[in-house]
Amino acid sequence: MTAKAARWIFYLGTLISLVLFLVLTVDTHRQIDALTHVDQLSETVVAGKRVWHKYNCNDCHTILGFGSYYAPDMTKAYWRRGAEGIKAVVRNPERFTTWRKMPRQNLSEQELDQLVAFLQWTSAIENNDWPPQDRKYRAAAGRGAILGLSPGAALFQEKGCFACHSVYGTGGDSGPELSHAGSRLNPEQIERILTDPRSSNPEATMPVFELSHEERDQLAQFLAELK
Amino acid sequence: MSIAYRSQRVAYPYFVIALLLFVLQVAMGVWLACNYAFTMPQWLVDAFPFSTARAIHTNLLVLWLLLGFMGSTYYMVPDETERELYSPTLAYVQLALLVGTGVTALAGFLVGWTKGKPLLEIPFPLDWLIVVGALIFLFNVGMTMLGARRWTATQGSLLGGLVFLALMYLFNLPFYRNLSIDWYYWWWVIHLWVEGAWELVAAALTAWLLMKITGVPRETVEKWLYVELGLFLFTGIAGTGHHYYWIGAPKYWLWVGGIFSALEPLPILLMLVDAAHYVRERRGRLNGRLVFTLAIGMAILHVVGAGFWGFLHTLPQINYYTHGSQVTVAHGHLAFFGAYVMLNVMFFYYAVPRLKGLTAYDERRGNIGFWWMSVTMVVITLAFSVAGVLQTYIERVMGMGFMTAQAQMRFWFAVLVVLGLCMLGGVIYTVRDLLTLRPRRDEAEIGDVTAQLRRAAG
Repeated sequence: MTAKAARWIFYLGTLISLVLFLVLTVDTHRQIDALTHVDQLSETVVAGKRVWHKYNCNDCHTILGFGSYYAPDMTKAYWRRGAEGIKAVVRNPERFTTWRKMPRQNLSEQELDQLVAFLQWTSAIENNDWPPQDRKYRAAAGRGAILGLSPGAALFQEKGCFACHSVYGTGGDSGPELSHAGSRLNPEQIERILTDPRSSNPEATMPVFELSHEERDQLAQFLAELK
Repeated sequence: MSIAYRSQRVAYPYFVIALLLFVLQVAMGVWLACNYAFTMPQWLVDAFPFSTARAIHTNLLVLWLLLGFMGSTYYMVPDETERELYSPTLAYVQLALLVGTGVTALAGFLVGWTKGKPLLEIPFPLDWLIVVGALIFLFNVGMTMLGARRWTATQGSLLGGLVFLALMYLFNLPFYRNLSIDWYYWWWVIHLWVEGAWELVAAALTAWLLMKITGVPRETVEKWLYVELGLFLFTGIAGTGHHYYWIGAPKYWLWVGGIFSALEPLPILLMLVDAAHYVRERRGRLNGRLVFTLAIGMAILHVVGAGFWGFLHTLPQINYYTHGSQVTVAHGHLAFFGAYVMLNVMFFYYAVPRLKGLTAYDERRGNIGFWWMSVTMVVITLAFSVAGVLQTYIERVMGMGFMTAQAQMRFWFAVLVVLGLCMLGGVIYTVRDLLTLRPRRDEAEIGDVTAQLRRAAG
């Protein structure tokens, strides 16, 4: 190879790749607003992103698969745990972790709301269905009405009950399995547990969720029907 | 062996600080492995969380590698341009500024002062001070080259890489409202650094050093340097697309990223072939083998870590399952070690004896250090890979929970604690050797005998 040919490889190779990359970057900017639902990108979501940065969440968790690999990916965390589920963990991480722990960082209630808004927006990004393990939560994620689910089933998802309890093989395992809850408990007993989780078991680690009377009723109905 | 230009001396403090930070970086790595393997008490997790330790580990890596590159550049440029540095004083000011900023940032992480973006945690206004430091550096190197007696492709590659490096850092400065766009430009810093700008700098430093130690003519080395750089940039720039598969960018990135990054090992392979070729074709007396060993070792580990381990999970069909798992960690460790840690170590072993005016030095410890660190790092990569495959299968393919997978991987993290300690030992051994290089024993004895004879005669 001559020195001249070598120089041509350098200039042409660099130029072709650079032009292609810049053209696609311009096009990506044109398409990304739709793919990430920028119409939903409110000031609250942006404030939530700042909360995400402020507490350096990304140096333990990945999001969109980037960051550190010490803790679960947060891209579809909203699908997995719902708003209340996320807040419960961030408020009292020591109740939800076992041998690998998360620091207690004392977020304000406003910060928690913003963080949840950010994670809710993130979960809707059209990212070719990544990560694979969270695809199964998609059907449940805030689409209860469309799928014709009962209001209680929708609440079960929305309040993050799946974070600890599993139903028919979906959900966490730190709380009791609830696929047949209705054969053990009647609606009144379930309502009592929801009001005060320690009333039936003093050792219970389940947090108290703020539910309206109607919500508590709907959840209890839903669970009592699982037999 | 000694230096031809007085101002090359500014390189030495850069090397010393880089090496000390290297030790700290690896020590922090061992602590991270402990966090994976053992259960830490909640009060400790609250006071010093994994996230803080990880920010320190990665920022130390970037800081020491860059200080090493800068020192190496200051060592090489006077020789290549055949004149003294434009301003040695500025070089010291720059070092003080960068180290001061770096140490402040690390201390800041401990109290939660962070930008919260992985690898680029250094917050405002410290990030701007880094820019100032980089500008001083570019000004100093650029002014030296402007007044040079000759302009070479090696200089061009070095200056081009350094400007490219500084330019890309600017994409880290704004706040991005949209998370997807944030990551899009995050990779302009991270990917275009390690698979673009840093490769240019590394190729230039390696080409220069190989010319020096092998005596292979400049025309040959610089001709292949052009081809290497052309391939690096051709595959590397569009290859950035392999990070855009799952961030909410258009689908064509699966094709562009897949195809271009599948070609990314080519320039690295060419570098290995070239290095091996120059070493075989060397002219003149062999003055020490260690730097040759390091050059070939670097080229091989660069191919394995950056090339092969990168290729393994770069195709979208595979990356869908391995993305953001310990497979990435395996690749990251061997790639950084093979490409950039080895480059710095090789350059230090070339430059430090000359800065100290040693004709020959005891190479035994350098050799042991090289094998100790390299073998350990290869085994570390294998351990991370096993953990990564477990995670990919249990969490991603079977769809079980994150912690279920982590429980199965835990044994390998315990293995990594032991390997990490072994690595730390190798690093301390090598750093200690570099900082205390002394003449080879036979030469030292000859020196003693000469002195005795002189005394006897006097």
